[in-house]
Amino acid sequence: MYGRKAFQLVKELASGEKGQLTPYNSDLFDQVTAECSQHHLELQSLIRKIQEEGLDVQTTRNSEHYGSLIHHLSLVRNKRCLMAYVYNRAEIIRSLIWKVGPVLPQEIQERLSHTEEEYFKRHSAALQSYMSRLDLDLTVDMVPPKDPYIQVRVLDDIGVVLSDDKTTNFARHSMHFLKRTDAEQFISRGLMEELTD
Amino acid sequence: MAKFYDMDDIITDEEVVSVVFEKAACGVGIDPSSETDSVEVGSKVELPFWLAHELQLRQAVSMNVPTCFNQKTRLEIQADSACVDLRSRCPFFYEFGCKIAPLVGVRTIGPLLLSAFKSRYKEVLTKAHTAAFPAASKHLTILTKEETNLYEAAQSSMTAFKRWRMGGPRFQRASVLGRKRKSTD
Repeated sequence: MYGRKAFQLVKELASGEKGQLTPYNSDLFDQVTAECSQHHLELQSLIRKIQEEGLDVQTTRNSEHYGSLIHHLSLVRNKRCLMAYVYNRAEIIRSLIWKVGPVLPQEIQERLSHTEEEYFKRHSAALQSYMSRLDLDLTVDMVPPKDPYIQVRVLDDIGVVLSDDKTTNFARHSMHFLKRTDAEQFISRGLMEELTD
Repeated sequence: MAKFYDMDDIITDEEVVSVVFEKAACGVGIDPSSETDSVEVGSKVELPFWLAHELQLRQAVSMNVPTCFNQKTRLEIQADSACVDLRSRCPFFYEFGCKIAPLVGVRTIGPLLLSAFKSRYKEVLTKAHTAAFPAASKHLTILTKEETNLYEAAQSSMTAFKRWRMGGPRFQRASVLGRKRKSTD
């Protein structure tokens, strides 16, 4: 049936968990665009047939007209599915900046297409330049903190880090009392965890 | 076209409707029973809703009532709506019903949707507020997507309420309010 492949593409994305990316299905995407060009060719040949019979394309309502109409509708439908696929993925990709930060972990990176990677990079660059103009990091403190300082445990060897006025050695399993803003970038990368009592 | 990018809407539009062609169409391979690549007048074909809808608007086809709104389902819903497995019939039962109702000219679809939703909604809310997670999973499989969304919303608001209640008072009484006021006269 026409449009079935495009529907599968959308369904694949919709059946994934909310806010999570499924791997970019370039194979199916290309098949749908190929189907689109096929529809376009058949649409053109049907219209040519109408013209050859000397009829007016605008007003004729013969079987060729309805055939070309079906092809046209299938094209529009395929286009809508493809657009929705790209649009909804782009929305998730934008939200990733706020959730995981400007550096994507490997397993998410693998799910993006090449253009999507480029989009993510440019979007995060735009956000960075805006934030540097404001002189304010907007991606931290997404939930208003109760206390500016938190207790954290280091999960991985980070090494010596310079923060504000002092240097700290973040060795694995060591515990620290840090400013929330300093710790947040490490927590979002999974290098530290917050200790809650 | 406010829902152009809405994936749920796209999935709803893919529901199959059986139609009868009133105009012939050639050069298309949508009728599997036909040997040539054309559709004759009067042939019965299963089409996805997005195609059937547009063709119906141009009077090229006439739509039949889809199976998920037929007499059998109707009787089941009237018998005990809360136990009917609507998801396997149509994952967006209500959305699809709203789309199809004005097109097929059957006046009973609207009241059917309303009565089904009213009685099932009650069930969904009670289950969401009371049932523990493992007990609820069986009940979840028969809900449509719309009902699942409601169920999740109800459950998250219930946990938020519980957390708020356990968290103790968030607002501290201003010390000045505790003092007895002198009478002003």
